[in-house]
Amino acid sequence: MQTLLRNLQRLRRTVALPAPTRGRSLALRHVDAGSCNGCEHELTLAASPYEDVQRFGFGIVASPRHADVLLVTGTVTTRMREPLLAAYRAMPEPRRVVALGDCALGRGVLADDTEIVGPVEAVLPVDLRIPGCPPSPPTITQALLDLHDAGIRGDAGPPLGGQAPSGRLRLQGRQQEGRRRRRG
Amino acid sequence: MTYRDRIASALDDGLRFAGLYATDAVVRVALVEPDGALRLESVEVHDKRVPTIVDLAVAAAWDEREAADLYGLEFDGHEPLRPLVEHDLDLRHWTVPVHGDDAYQVAVGPIHAGVIESGHFRFHVVGDKILHLDARLFYKHRGLERAAEGRSLQEGRAYAQRACAACAVSNSVAYAHACEAAVGLKPNAEIARVRTVLLELERAWSHLNDIAAVCAGAGLAAGNTFFAALTERARRVNEQLTGHRFLFDSVQVGRSAFVVDAAAVAAAREDVASIAADSKSGWRELLFNASFQDRLPDIGIVTAEDARTLGAVGPAARASGVTDDVRSTSRLLAYDGFVPVAPRRVAGDVQARLEQRAVELLQTFELLDTLLDRPLAAAEATAGNGGSPIGLGRVESPRGATLCAVEQDAGRLRRLHLRTGSYANWPVVAHAAAGNLLPDFPLINKSFELCYACADR
Repeated sequence: MQTLLRNLQRLRRTVALPAPTRGRSLALRHVDAGSCNGCEHELTLAASPYEDVQRFGFGIVASPRHADVLLVTGTVTTRMREPLLAAYRAMPEPRRVVALGDCALGRGVLADDTEIVGPVEAVLPVDLRIPGCPPSPPTITQALLDLHDAGIRGDAGPPLGGQAPSGRLRLQGRQQEGRRRRRG
Repeated sequence: MTYRDRIASALDDGLRFAGLYATDAVVRVALVEPDGALRLESVEVHDKRVPTIVDLAVAAAWDEREAADLYGLEFDGHEPLRPLVEHDLDLRHWTVPVHGDDAYQVAVGPIHAGVIESGHFRFHVVGDKILHLDARLFYKHRGLERAAEGRSLQEGRAYAQRACAACAVSNSVAYAHACEAAVGLKPNAEIARVRTVLLELERAWSHLNDIAAVCAGAGLAAGNTFFAALTERARRVNEQLTGHRFLFDSVQVGRSAFVVDAAAVAAAREDVASIAADSKSGWRELLFNASFQDRLPDIGIVTAEDARTLGAVGPAARASGVTDDVRSTSRLLAYDGFVPVAPRRVAGDVQARLEQRAVELLQTFELLDTLLDRPLAAAEATAGNGGSPIGLGRVESPRGATLCAVEQDAGRLRRLHLRTGSYANWPVVAHAAAGNLLPDFPLINKSFELCYACADR
């Protein structure tokens, strides 16, 4: 165990990822709507020590009810349309939808037309498109950072996420946003 | 001899079931001889009906259910013929009835809690104990096989490849072998070497990923992170060699087009050696981690007999004592003298399946070291012994034997069928889960680490 941990410490020093310049936070929920499993494998490695997407306060959460962002991979199959919509409906506002990978964007899709609904935007409003077959871990991280920062500025829809690193502060921020929206 | 008699006598002669698929007019069964040669038996469809062989080869159960759903066939004697791909029928049609005091169902998926592909598990439980599991996949069914029909053989490769990123090379090589058999081409030694390198690169990252996954399943974050880092390094080697982290588009039908010079090959060989060294040291750490090791034995047991009956393949089958590995009989690839390895404790449980990956990794690293001793050159396949309307290819993917069948007419696909290692093993996962505790299922599932994409297609 000591060797494992020492090795990981050494790796962290060698990779020397820059520390985040400020606190960010995004809760992500992934839904596979009909992928080839490539985007999943790359999204998984976005958490490896070489990319460490968690350093920005971005993490995969187990339920859409806890999520700011719905990350959708794959072309949407007829069978995944309803589960995808159910996940989206379960999310609290404000929320964002990210189409991850070429299939999700409707590019170069290989499929029988009768089995698929189409790209993610045929089912849900898409806020961010991340191209690539599949997009690499650094590409995914950068796109999510852009989404977060645009969300904070409120470029697209109600402001998203929080700048404070603490979960409690963030929650307060969200409640205020919620009130603002209701008034608006 | 009738169709059923031919299948029965072939199985008696030591051939094994390797896949079944339908077209509009016939149902075909692929059988594999002990020396790896493939044989095809067919039966004509009459009135949308054919006899079942599920009583002769239990492994044909999913294949027949799929053929019934996609081609509207009835398999006489396959009772009850539950839907598999078809999702429109309600629960009682596709689940095994489980009755008794306190028996209830736990529904999981199609959306899972982590970054996992979509699929539904219906557990029948009493308390925490799993009585039975109905796995309902095909949420990701994209109709790839049908979409490929009418395409040229060269175009069709993308459909086989895109069935699954984690098995992209295995599927592509199986497809290429099938097409080459159909058009009468024989890959030469250089094509064989290049494809073997690609297959082993795929196995390397895949097995590293599987070890990471089992660590995650057991809650050992340090082990998961360690092997995730190695997986990342393996994918970087892929990218440096082929320009793609999943080795996409590096296999072609009838030729090998991708060229790697001496310097790049040497660099890749060095990287592989360094990954191998770190992987060995990480594995040693896992072996000496008592709390991790305590979590692994005696759950999700698949006996050798059950593995054989259910048609288990790949590391999962070998961990149960079924020593089949397509690599030992792959005459079209560079696996001369290959002998499958086994873990110290062939118990068919989570521990054995995990250790199977670790010992196979050693072999894979050695193979890569041997094969990457000189530049990879472009090559053209040579003319073999005539062509045929149907070609078959069988390759050992990281998850087990993958069969590809290609039916062609003047260079156009009439039918493409892919039966991957994951497809063969999904019923085995369901079998392994029964009798265990529900909280153990994620770990049992991860010890198989099957793809949904290439089962669903």
